[in-house]
Amino acid sequence: MTKIIIDGVEIEADPKQPLIRACHDNGVDVPMYCYHPGLSPVGSCRICQVEVKQGEMPPRIMVACKTPVAEGMIVDTRAPKAHAARRECLEFLLKNHPLDCPICDKAGECDLQDFAFAEGQGEGRSVEPRRKLDKRKSLGDVIVLDEERCILCSRCVRFFEDVTKKPQLTVSELGSRSTISTFMDRPLQGNYQGNLADVCPVGALTLKKFRFQARVWNLEKHFSTCGECSRGCSITVEILRRREVKRIRPRYNPDVNKWWMCDVGRFAFDRFNEEERIEGAAVRDAQGRLVETGVSDALAKAADILKVHPSPAIVASPWLTVEEGEVLLALAERAGVAAAFVAPPPNDLADDLLHTGDPCPNRRGLVELGLAAISAEEALERIGAGKSAILVGERVVELLGEEALEDLPAALRLIAFVRHPVHAPATNVCIGVPTAVERTGTWINVDGGRGPIAAARPAPPNVRPLTSTLAALAELIQRQEAPA
Amino acid sequence: MFVVKRKELSLRERLFLPEIARALGHSLRAIFKPKITRQYPEEGLPTTEVTRGQPRLVVKEDGAMACVSCGLCEAACPAYAITIDGQETDRFIEREPERFDIDMLRCILCGFCEEACPKDAIFMSDELELADYSREALKYDIEKLKRPKAALQKRIDYVYRINERWRSSSSTS
Ligand code: SF4
Ligand code: SF4
Ligand code: SF4
Ligand code: FES
Repeated sequence: MTKIIIDGVEIEADPKQPLIRACHDNGVDVPMYCYHPGLSPVGSCRICQVEVKQGEMPPRIMVACKTPVAEGMIVDTRAPKAHAARRECLEFLLKNHPLDCPICDKAGECDLQDFAFAEGQGEGRSVEPRRKLDKRKSLGDVIVLDEERCILCSRCVRFFEDVTKKPQLTVSELGSRSTISTFMDRPLQGNYQGNLADVCPVGALTLKKFRFQARVWNLEKHFSTCGECSRGCSITVEILRRREVKRIRPRYNPDVNKWWMCDVGRFAFDRFNEEERIEGAAVRDAQGRLVETGVSDALAKAADILKVHPSPAIVASPWLTVEEGEVLLALAERAGVAAAFVAPPPNDLADDLLHTGDPCPNRRGLVELGLAAISAEEALERIGAGKSAILVGERVVELLGEEALEDLPAALRLIAFVRHPVHAPATNVCIGVPTAVERTGTWINVDGGRGPIAAARPAPPNVRPLTSTLAALAELIQRQEAPA
Repeated sequence: MFVVKRKELSLRERLFLPEIARALGHSLRAIFKPKITRQYPEEGLPTTEVTRGQPRLVVKEDGAMACVSCGLCEAACPAYAITIDGQETDRFIEREPERFDIDMLRCILCGFCEEACPKDAIFMSDELELADYSREALKYDIEKLKRPKAALQKRIDYVYRINERWRSSSSTS
């Protein structure tokens, strides 16, 4: 550790990190555009200039992102000279910036806006017209580039060079005509394109899926964990008006995903926005139709079924949290059977960056609890072999195949804790469950790390947490057994 | 106890007739004076350029909305009356509102939205009346809020003039 003084306060800094990290880690705000803690520093934008005095030399203006920390440095981030240097730098950056903040998706979380507001000058002095470039250049299926807004920080270029290690972007042309482009205008490839919209400090790279959908200050941000593979990237789920999931973004987690996440997880939120679901519960009546009822009635019916047809096959979804798994195990124990969860085969998305190719986010947590991982075929076999079965958790029907469930004998009694009604003739009871953005719990990722998931929006009033409905069913079974 | 003593009326007062004649005289004089009442609602209220009625959205000469759904009026509105969703268009200005609702029951006619708008897209019109048979009908959507620019021109000119005066008198430049 090296001792340096920043703004009059002596601190200990890591000599392997650039000066800007020492400033940020100690709560001193130094603006930055080209520097990103996850990318190699280039020092090209010059917005991070601070005044540094070393030894006997007179104080000098230096870029904090390229200057290594050295013993005895005296740093003044607020020196008038440093402030003037940053201000000039901003004026040049804004010289050609279109200033279409009212239209720009980045407005509200834009570094250019923030620093211009904090340090810039109110009015431009330039009289020349601003440059005209392509405002809607498609870079593949995920990203649109607005060339006019780009400040040429090259973060996006370095993202592909440093993180995915497959360079795809470059700065082409010269001077004020410089733009970001791919080789021969080919579309971008790969599963990590969405990160470009996060690394771009301005609104030059935006997500096609989010474009013009919502203003960022209207989005409520909730910490959670991605459920699309067993890596369990830390994410922020962003909700518009307490209802719709509009965006999922990675959240910095040094042990799992750093600053990044893959596109599969980033865009996997459409399922949360589907309107159709069981709000409460449904049971099959004497005419064979599924009719809506209260959750307590449905649970009582389920307990009655289990009394007549004991030893159900219990098949859970791999999206169950550890907490839900525990309650399910208690229920299985009460019913005197073993519980298992469906583990789909690995998909071909695995890479050496984040995606593990295993679609079960909580495989490790559930296996450690004592649930067996079985294939969909085996699960169907188990269900078909018994007289009754319990399906638990969102997406379990999807994994087993709706058609396969249709083919089950109608004499079978099926109790389903699911999101969408199961219309298979064997279904007797359906009880609604909250989705991954409506419940709270823990997933254990492939390395044994805990990934908390948090409710980002309230579930519909009659949809109770799975832990509560499963526990209630276990209780009912016990009560029925007691008098006998 | 507090007792109010009645004043004894004089004979002239007890007769009432002179008083009636005096009242009739007042009425007769009023008939020939200029009228100061107004036959509302047949006769509308007078409006001037400073009238701050309900907010309305500008439709430009080319038929497009001036609004780019930036959401600044939504953020500025102290009554949370405005709800906006944006969408992409093929025009040069790439963004326009898909949904723009103002709940007129919440609107307090403060004019903050007009002040916040960076695109001169929302102005306080001279429409003042607000009555209907249901609450739902008073949640105005984009179609109910659209007005051709010409209909709002009086207010637009006024706002520009006021802003100009404010700008020239303020010390920042
Ligand atoms: S597109 Fe964004 S990230 Fe890329 S160089 Fe331009 S401003 Fe930087
Ligand atoms: S006039 Fe005031 S209260 Fe009414 S919509 Fe505009 S900002 Fe909201
Ligand atoms: S402030 Fe103006 S441009 Fe922005 S959403 Fe409101 S009316 Fe539209
Ligand atoms: S952030 Fe240091 S030069 Fe760009």
